[in-house]
Amino acid sequence: MNMQQSPVPSLAKQKRPARSKSDRGRLLQEASMLAPAVLLLTLFLIVPFFLSFWTAMTNQPLVPRPTPLRFIWFTNFVRIFHDDLFWTALWNVSRFTFWILPVQCGLAFATALLLHQKMPFRNLLRGMFFLPAITSMVVVCVIWGTLFQYPTGPFNQILGFVSGGYIQPIDWLGDPEWAMFSIVLLSAWQAYGFQMIVYLAGLQGIPDELYDAARIDGANAVQRFWHVTMPGLRPTHVFVLLITTIQAFKLYTQVAILTQGGPKSSTETVVHYMVRAGFEEQKMGYASAVSVILFVIVLIIALVQRQLLRRFDV
Amino acid sequence: MGNRLLSSLILTAAMSATAQAADTKVIHVMHQGDPAGVAAIGAVAKAFEAENPGVDVETIYAPHDAYNEKFSAAVMANQLPDVMELDAPFLANYVWSGYLQPIKPLIDKDVLDDMTNSNIVQGTYPVDKDLYAIGLTDSTVVLYGNRKYLEEIGARIPTSVDDAWTREEFEGYLEKLSKLDGVKWPIDTFRGYGIKTEWITYAYGPILQSSGCDLIDRTTWKSAGTLDADACVEALTMMQTWVKNGWVVPQSAGTNQFYAENNPAALALGGHWFYAEAAAAMKDDIVVMPLPKFGAKGASPNGTWIWAVTKTSEHPDVAGKFVSFMLKDKEYRTFIASKSGYPGLKSFAAESPLYAAGGAMAIAYEQASKTAIARPPYPAYPTITSAFMQAVDEAFNGGDPKAALTAAAEKIDEDIEDNDGYPPFGDQQ
Repeated sequence: MNMQQSPVPSLAKQKRPARSKSDRGRLLQEASMLAPAVLLLTLFLIVPFFLSFWTAMTNQPLVPRPTPLRFIWFTNFVRIFHDDLFWTALWNVSRFTFWILPVQCGLAFATALLLHQKMPFRNLLRGMFFLPAITSMVVVCVIWGTLFQYPTGPFNQILGFVSGGYIQPIDWLGDPEWAMFSIVLLSAWQAYGFQMIVYLAGLQGIPDELYDAARIDGANAVQRFWHVTMPGLRPTHVFVLLITTIQAFKLYTQVAILTQGGPKSSTETVVHYMVRAGFEEQKMGYASAVSVILFVIVLIIALVQRQLLRRFDV
Repeated sequence: MGNRLLSSLILTAAMSATAQAADTKVIHVMHQGDPAGVAAIGAVAKAFEAENPGVDVETIYAPHDAYNEKFSAAVMANQLPDVMELDAPFLANYVWSGYLQPIKPLIDKDVLDDMTNSNIVQGTYPVDKDLYAIGLTDSTVVLYGNRKYLEEIGARIPTSVDDAWTREEFEGYLEKLSKLDGVKWPIDTFRGYGIKTEWITYAYGPILQSSGCDLIDRTTWKSAGTLDADACVEALTMMQTWVKNGWVVPQSAGTNQFYAENNPAALALGGHWFYAEAAAAMKDDIVVMPLPKFGAKGASPNGTWIWAVTKTSEHPDVAGKFVSFMLKDKEYRTFIASKSGYPGLKSFAAESPLYAAGGAMAIAYEQASKTAIARPPYPAYPTITSAFMQAVDEAFNGGDPKAALTAAAEKIDEDIEDNDGYPPFGDQQ
């Protein structure tokens, strides 16, 4: 695994002579160049991050109110854990993640493999396959909302036509059994382009010499895929898996536009729950508590995933 | 050379900007509406500017379903508009939070004298009994019927609010309609508006009230014991049964099934604004009936988007003048009337034959004085409506109505507790 590590740290360690005047000058220069970034990051990322921990323990409303601000310790957290809707939301997001990981990553991997081949119009095709990813999610949702229409939307008509009328129209977004699955379909289609690009980059990073050597050793295409391509892509797999999981846990836009968490809370997600608490019911403290919980969950998942994948010698 | 041109350009721009700031009063007007409504308000602003030199009206549009979120954002950024449109049930929350100022001293007297009772009620804050907002219109929900279908099943057609259908009649007709050829769904209750929309509390709340309960007890301001009481559970179970029986147009089928080709829906529990589009397609085939009486008394909603002046306004006098101007503006009134607008000013009622005796919507106007019940004028309203929407969605998709309403009542009471009972509301008794 050391092979894949970036060369930057070793360069930095190269030599460290005693501090001289010019050295101090260089440090000052570095510090002054770092300062704007550090300042902005602190101001807009780190401070708000810790503020949300503080807000989570107060009854802070969204907008100023005549009632006094109070420090209420963990009341918000207790309430969240007692709210069935929160658990439903968490369960829904887990379901979503469980479905979208194979669908989206599989789709991205397959198209990347396809577009890595030498073929005519390769760059044009790459651009076309990437198009959904640069289309705004809002636009995609509106279009797919039309496709999903019940009972006479295009999807239902195609299903009815292909099955000769055997399949009854499906209420894609209005049936609690189907709504989340429909969201998975459209999300995977919209977002797979990004993972595809990452996989393409990963594929290009595998040196041709390895393939040549494998060929000389008499490996066929399937063997080359399993013993050269797959090991070469391990860091890419880890990255894609992590980023997709984290994105999946933050599911919001599609739900907010298409189903607003319904029907029967079957598409309620943690972020949607948070926005509802913070902006509709104007309970900023409560919403902050949800965001802290979400942060902890995502952090744990990311750590566990890393450990698991490391165990498989990635 | 190029540089000099650029700097002189900047200089002139800066000079004209300061010159403008010196003698121009700018008022910001925040509103919602469909594209035609936005255009109509834009036209009012232009006309007002033409009549009042030195005044600049800047309109700010915010979409209907996210209006309160956008307003909160404006509050946080300390950028409140001068004039704002607001949904009547949210008035108590806004006044309690200290955003609005009493509007009576700012509005022309002839406009104030012109208000209907219901219009005064929707703009009044119950604590100090002062007027904080004013509207050209009010609103209601009626039961629209397809004349052909109703004649086929031999339904009795009520001619006044007093002889509205009873629950037995209503459900009997729904059942008959469900078996009638050509009827795909006996009724559209406009689930197509979505599950996160004020429509739910606005239109279904009166069904609870007619059944003998309410969203919240309006003297003790407690929801538990009222919203989760047997009468409410029974009412929500009744609606759930309609959905279960397949009698109600599903959410994903849109909002036009009543007048779409071949009229798949036979009845429509729709807002007064629905009349304009439905009548355009169906002409005389449309029957307007009062909302059914589900219990001892009838109930119907009221309240709509009305205009207020914010406390932070730098030019409240100009803001008030603008509101008065808009409510009297001929073209604006013509536009609202074209949308079958429900009159909230007496002079506007006189110009609206649709709502006058003998007019197609006369029954809708009759409801205002006989059955209208305002949504709870209480600062916890944002939570009340959000919790109730959640409960209705749960029940309509097969969830247990009792459990759903209990959860909603708990959520509402929790919010009230968090705000110490919204004083002075708690200390009133």
